[in-house]
Amino acid sequence: MGAVSVDKLGKTFGAMNAVKAIDFAIGDGEFVFFLGPSGCGKTTTLRMLSGLLMPTGGQISIGGRDVTYLHPRHRNVGMVFQQNVLYGHLSVFENLAYPLRVRRVSGTEIRKRVREVARTLQIDDVLTRMPGQLSAGQSQRVAIGRMLVRDADVFLMDEPISHLDAKLRAHMRAELRHLQKQLGVTTVFVSHDQLEAMSMADRIMVMEGGVVQQFATPQEIFDRPVNLFVASFVGEPHLNTLDVTLELRDGVVTLAGRGVAVAAPPGWIDETVVRANIGRDLALGVRPEHVDVAIAAAADTIPGKLYAIEPLGAEDLFTVDVSGRFVQARIAADRAATFPTPVRDPIHVRFAPDHLYLFDKETGRTLAQASFTKRRRS
Amino acid sequence: MTESKRVIVSPKSAPVENNWWVHMILVTVFMIAVIPVLWVVMTAFMTKTQTQVMPPEIFFKPSFNAFGVIVRQFGMLTFMAHSIIIAVASTFFSVTIGTFCAYALARFSFPGKEDVSFWILTNRMMPAVAVILPIFMIFQTFGLLDTFVGIIFLYTAMQLPFVVWMLKGYFEDIPREFEEVALVDGDTWLGAFRKVVLPLMRPSITAASIFVLILSWNEYAFALFLTGTNTRTLPPSVVTFTVSTEVSFDLLGAAAVIIAGPILLFVVFVQKQFVRGLSMGMVR
Repeated sequence: MGAVSVDKLGKTFGAMNAVKAIDFAIGDGEFVFFLGPSGCGKTTTLRMLSGLLMPTGGQISIGGRDVTYLHPRHRNVGMVFQQNVLYGHLSVFENLAYPLRVRRVSGTEIRKRVREVARTLQIDDVLTRMPGQLSAGQSQRVAIGRMLVRDADVFLMDEPISHLDAKLRAHMRAELRHLQKQLGVTTVFVSHDQLEAMSMADRIMVMEGGVVQQFATPQEIFDRPVNLFVASFVGEPHLNTLDVTLELRDGVVTLAGRGVAVAAPPGWIDETVVRANIGRDLALGVRPEHVDVAIAAAADTIPGKLYAIEPLGAEDLFTVDVSGRFVQARIAADRAATFPTPVRDPIHVRFAPDHLYLFDKETGRTLAQASFTKRRRS
Repeated sequence: MTESKRVIVSPKSAPVENNWWVHMILVTVFMIAVIPVLWVVMTAFMTKTQTQVMPPEIFFKPSFNAFGVIVRQFGMLTFMAHSIIIAVASTFFSVTIGTFCAYALARFSFPGKEDVSFWILTNRMMPAVAVILPIFMIFQTFGLLDTFVGIIFLYTAMQLPFVVWMLKGYFEDIPREFEEVALVDGDTWLGAFRKVVLPLMRPSITAASIFVLILSWNEYAFALFLTGTNTRTLPPSVVTFTVSTEVSFDLLGAAAVIIAGPILLFVVFVQKQFVRGLSMGMVR
């Protein structure tokens, strides 16, 4: 009933091409995230799914029905907005009942369904209150409740929890995930917060520049990003990247840049890729959790200067200046305590060899995925 | 170097606000604004001879003679009825039409939108005296002189720009999401407008109505030229019976009290609504 499929969907605003003929398919009951920076086309795509925005081209079908140019009221989708919109002149009960009243559902049925939804969302004790008297979390629940109260085929959420405070947001993340699995309704969630997406989604669609960059499971997106954009958009702190060129030094594939020379572990980069990219500008990537620091130099370390240490509780975040480029490393707190290193002192970084990524600087495409992901697959 | 060593120490308690001079200014402004009004009200309760005494008497025996004269002899209450009919009807029409117009201008984009909003505004740019003669001739041609239809039509057209421009801003302040939620919930544009937007706009629409009502009630120039015995409103009627060879200040005062009284009471009564409506966008 709630499978969504989108074919060559596009939207232009005047001269601006906001969404560029994208294709994707969402399975029934799936929890999908549209993830990307602001202006990437994710909200535009969502609004086209809801019918609030008419596409300039392409086709949308929900549950096998072509809804491309249907009015929102004929699509049977539910939506929660970023700005939490409750009708201030109506009580919580009436707010929840609104979608049913519009559909001329009978009074007893309305009471029954509103009670049910209120119980699910634990807002049954505030039904008689006005929206102005609710806390931020409660009013968010009411907005979600209005979406749940009728049997929508698809739920659409446009950053519904991004304006809540951190603690409540964390709580709502778990709750929404639980609720979605419990109800089993296809859900599309727009977010610019990669943590939100990683923690809640079945699959994430990363968008940038009106184009789908990658549509895969969170783990796949994190471990095997298709390009440099996806790799640096997910993960906190960001992926470290260093500008390098590929060289052959005495038969060893070496990635060398300003003040950096990393010998590629054997078998990491395909032969054909090596041959095609000798001397080209590439980017070497490694996540901060796979960077280690050391006081003493060794064969596989890169020299730098300590720039800053940020204690994060369980870990310390080391920022090291490697010939003008910052490399960040996450070091467990008790080990970090053994470094009495003041800022600006020399320090060495070491990259975990099976967690290196190689990107084409020009196209951004991933040339070599981290070798640990190959091992996991075989 | 020695200067910079001077240390400024915090006093033991917070400084006390001492702004008596602000109050002096306020009292002065208040006196200047209120004394003429007070004097008009006083003359309403004087006899004709008392109004002409030099120097003016501040303490006198009040009489209701002037009220009796203008109500019984000049039929002031009929004019008041005319005023009420015209003001209420024109307010109703201009606010109803203006609300829809403002909503369309605030929400939908269509070719020539900016021109339309500016054209509406130009309707108010010309002073009344500049257009009275042509309007008089148009009214004469269509037989609208001294009819309720004519003057209500004119006032509606005259107040429309005001309503549109005032409400347009408030409509723009209401996030689109309010209608969008209603649309996704299964409602039509009109349904969303009626059930969601209008209730939110009620304070602002009320404020606009109050304003328009006051303007229509007090309108003088058009009423003087375009209304006759059948439709004469209060403001022009006053001139006809208080100014002959000389000005009867007692009658003028009484008439002023009768004109201003109801609207003053009305404003005091709806003041809260009015302020709420005007400040709606700001406090959100």
